[in-house]
Amino acid sequence: MTPATATATFFARTYRRINKGSINAATTLMTLSLCFVALPLAAETTTPVPYPGDVPAFSEEAEAAGITHSYDGPWEYFVGGGLASFDCNGDRLPDLYLAGGENDAALYVNASKPGGELQFTHLSAASTDLQAVTGAYPINLDNDEHVDLVVLRVGENRLLKGEGDCRFSAANANYGFDGGIAWTTGFAASFETNEAFPTLAFANYVDRSAPGSPWGTCEDNVLSRASEDSNQTNLPRYDSPLPLSPGHCALSMLFTDWNKSGTDALRITNDRQYYRGGEEQLWRLDSGQYPRLFGRSDGWESLVIWGMGIAEGDLDADGFPEYALTSMGDTKLQKIDRVQATEENRPAYDDVAWDMGATAHRPYFGGDLKPSTGWHAEFEDINNDARLDLFVTKGNVESMSDFARFDPDNLLLAREDGSFSEQGELAGLALNRRGRGASVVDLNADGLLDIVVLNRGEPLSLFRQTGVHGPHGPRASGNWIKIELSQKGSNPQAIGARLAIRTGNKVQMRRIQVGGGHASGDLGFVHFGLGVAERATLRVQWPDGQWSAEYRLFANHHVVIRRDDEHFNYWFPQEAQ
Amino acid sequence: MKHTRCDLVNTYMKVCAGIILFLITGVSSMAIASQDNITSNAVTTVSADTDADAAVQPESVEDRQPAVIPQWSDRSASNHVGSTLFKGKLSSASLEQLLGAGETLFNTRFTSQQGLGRPLATQAIIPTKRKRPARNTFSRTAGIDASSCAGCHNEPVIGGAGDFTANVFVSEGFQHTDFDTTDPQFSNERNTNHLFGAGLVELLAREMTNELHTIRRRTLDKAADSKQALRIELLTKGVSFGTLTVQPDGQVDTREVEGVDSDLVIRPFSQKGVMTSLRQFTINALNQHHGMQANERFGARWTGETDHDEDGVIQEISIADVSALVAWQATLPPPSTETNLPDDWQLAAARGSDTFDEIACNRCHRRSLPLDSMVFGDPGPYDAAGTLRQNEAPELQYDLALLAWAKSLPRDADGRILVPLFGDLKRHEIADNRVSTLGNELLSQRFVERNVFMTTELWGIASTAPYGHRGDLSTLSEVIAGHGGAARASRESWLALQASAQDDVIAYLKSLVISP
Repeated sequence: MTPATATATFFARTYRRINKGSINAATTLMTLSLCFVALPLAAETTTPVPYPGDVPAFSEEAEAAGITHSYDGPWEYFVGGGLASFDCNGDRLPDLYLAGGENDAALYVNASKPGGELQFTHLSAASTDLQAVTGAYPINLDNDEHVDLVVLRVGENRLLKGEGDCRFSAANANYGFDGGIAWTTGFAASFETNEAFPTLAFANYVDRSAPGSPWGTCEDNVLSRASEDSNQTNLPRYDSPLPLSPGHCALSMLFTDWNKSGTDALRITNDRQYYRGGEEQLWRLDSGQYPRLFGRSDGWESLVIWGMGIAEGDLDADGFPEYALTSMGDTKLQKIDRVQATEENRPAYDDVAWDMGATAHRPYFGGDLKPSTGWHAEFEDINNDARLDLFVTKGNVESMSDFARFDPDNLLLAREDGSFSEQGELAGLALNRRGRGASVVDLNADGLLDIVVLNRGEPLSLFRQTGVHGPHGPRASGNWIKIELSQKGSNPQAIGARLAIRTGNKVQMRRIQVGGGHASGDLGFVHFGLGVAERATLRVQWPDGQWSAEYRLFANHHVVIRRDDEHFNYWFPQEAQ
Repeated sequence: MKHTRCDLVNTYMKVCAGIILFLITGVSSMAIASQDNITSNAVTTVSADTDADAAVQPESVEDRQPAVIPQWSDRSASNHVGSTLFKGKLSSASLEQLLGAGETLFNTRFTSQQGLGRPLATQAIIPTKRKRPARNTFSRTAGIDASSCAGCHNEPVIGGAGDFTANVFVSEGFQHTDFDTTDPQFSNERNTNHLFGAGLVELLAREMTNELHTIRRRTLDKAADSKQALRIELLTKGVSFGTLTVQPDGQVDTREVEGVDSDLVIRPFSQKGVMTSLRQFTINALNQHHGMQANERFGARWTGETDHDEDGVIQEISIADVSALVAWQATLPPPSTETNLPDDWQLAAARGSDTFDEIACNRCHRRSLPLDSMVFGDPGPYDAAGTLRQNEAPELQYDLALLAWAKSLPRDADGRILVPLFGDLKRHEIADNRVSTLGNELLSQRFVERNVFMTTELWGIASTAPYGHRGDLSTLSEVIAGHGGAARASRESWLALQASAQDDVIAYLKSLVISP
């Protein structure tokens, strides 16, 4: 180990240790400063290891695809800028609902040809062309055949009932939902045990009306369970919201089964820019019980970051999810202490981002050495090599001179040994735009994941994956498979289901979730890369905990699985006439 | 990027060493190439392959070589087939050159210097690490079990089948990688198939797959237009593969599909019918039987390693090496019907041919299937990642019609070649609870149940005893009597025949030969 690397390692470890303990803001700032110096030092003296795997090739084609949209506005819209990707017209292609900030939000219907160029049509309607929208998440609130939308706003949040054919109607009144007046920046939902309707959680940011705002004036977050009336009317009633206090200026939240117990807890990432005495949070949500924060005695250790986004991925398929937390400076990658989790039920985590090459702490391209600003994070197997990769959007908050101006989005591709390699530049993602929310989703049903990034003050980026870079030009990537689950009655999209897919000795795990990222959510096919495997066996753990029988699947297909049907169907997109 | 002084010194020394090494290996490579040109016309070049993984190899093949290695030395390494010589549509001369290289590789007794052995990799088709090194390089059960393709495929000539002693043990290689027993709960024991006519078989399979996919696509379009669910028979080249039910929204129910995987890809190779192409089969076999790992699946692109099996040899099998092996196998002539027989045998065979049809052997053992085109493209259209695909390298094409044997193949009224394979490229259940002779395996393979096998092509059967999937039946009569399951009725009809009529059928089958 070189002296510089040793120094960097020392600072990195010190930083991790201090971050776990209770510290004051000054100490954090000093440590962060040291860390920003140390990380570049280490990076400069480490010979980059070539990445031997497939690097996707992306083509940015938003304008050609018919999308001209940006997220913009004053201070309230420095954060947010999310989108929802989901199918609103039953053709199984993801449509997009885009936040606009002070611009109108916009719904774009997907008319892309399978495997071909992307094409979208703007569908304008009073119910969806809303202003002051910061983000959106798709979820089926009323268990009918249409997916609904939860729209986050600076002001009243909106529940939009899906009516089919990409039409939506306002549903706050019908569902007894008070959208409030807060500045909402995050959302998550979960079907708690034996509940017919989802429990909703809203992440709120700064309370602008409080004395002294914005410093130390964080709004409480809100948990909204469907009331008992819901079961009688067969419609959800969200008329008894619970405050999740204290709030620490949350920017993202996620229901997560952190300990494989089958019961979700609510993970919240908070922005230290505005809170005082705050930290990251994990709420215990035993079904029907009043939420309770995990504290020190429970094993929860303090972590103070500029939390912007959360992503969950089970990188080692052990059932305990890893979490990526975006921030200003280095991204965190948290791995649970399995012994404490299993033997003492304690949510204790190590930050392994440094060891795994996933800190993404400064721009990898463009020469700006200042720290990055991370927002949306999402785990997906973007190059279909049977390993989860990590995509992170980046972008200066507005004009923060201590942070990088040119701050391209990250594509951290996983290696066989579990570490990550930054390949955003070669992939074609290194644009000079201020990224915010995003979605990593296959927009044209070719098994290759595309990327949508909503940028602040700049055009939306629509990256179509055209294949992977090869010595003879673009070529096909590894094998893939996409799974759609459904079940009758409550929770038709099987939110909370786990999918375990096996190829050879390798197992990959996914969980269907609503929440996380940065103000952005997806709902639709679950994508797996399969590498060189041309067959896979799948088992599903449905939301109530029951495991399915084994499904035997052939690669490079879309698969539709209905619960209680031991067979499955393949699905094929309609080809161009 | 900043560098320390040490880094700069190291870099300088590496550059100097590189120049010296380049000079030495350049000379040695020329020396080796020169020797090869003298001793062998078959392998045309020793240039390193330009596979994708070559860019990240930490060392070149030449790095491991001393300055000059005599051709008789144990230390001599592989000669790889030149990757730049064979692309596009090949002329007869180029094809001949490629076939020479393929034949040499097929007959090569690979050595540890060339990469034989896989101490830390299993026989699995998905690159899989062993937990601990193999105890022995060779093992008749878990492999590696041969140093040469020709070690097993040699009856009656190279490329042919194998005796019982050439049986192989088919285990997926994910568990029980060290099994040292022939107990069928650990592996399926299989006799070696012959490869004659394999190119025609693959071309038939491709055309049938294309037709099945076209039926599916057209039905999807019709269902979408009519907004009604449709049920359609999957019929190609006169062989029915059951039915599909297609919903207007694009969902396809494959529950009534028969004899082919649910993706409707005809996989014509292996006794189970689970290999899509000669290319896939070759890569699998090279790893399983020899521990020779092809870059296109075991290289750094997919494994992250340049030496996945950790035997100290990198780039063991290049893309062009596989192409040469595929070409040699694909161009092997199809077996034929022997006509130079004594008169009484001819008469008996003629009667037996009629009986063959009367007792419905030809229901599965179809005398011929029609083939539209004899142009063989490599890579083929239906392989998945891990086997070279069409957009991953320049396609190689050769027209089997250019070969001498092609002229003797019959054609139908539409000019299509009638490939006399005596098979239907379809899987059937071949054992039942009363006649289980051919249901002698305990393990399913690649989603195909234990009693289900692809119809054995009978061409060349007179030259490929012993019989049965395990090669444990010494006569044709025994294997016919061993048919259960879907072939049960024909078997009963066979047993009901007079002895002389049975002899006639045997006379006919024994006229189906592999001609050297």
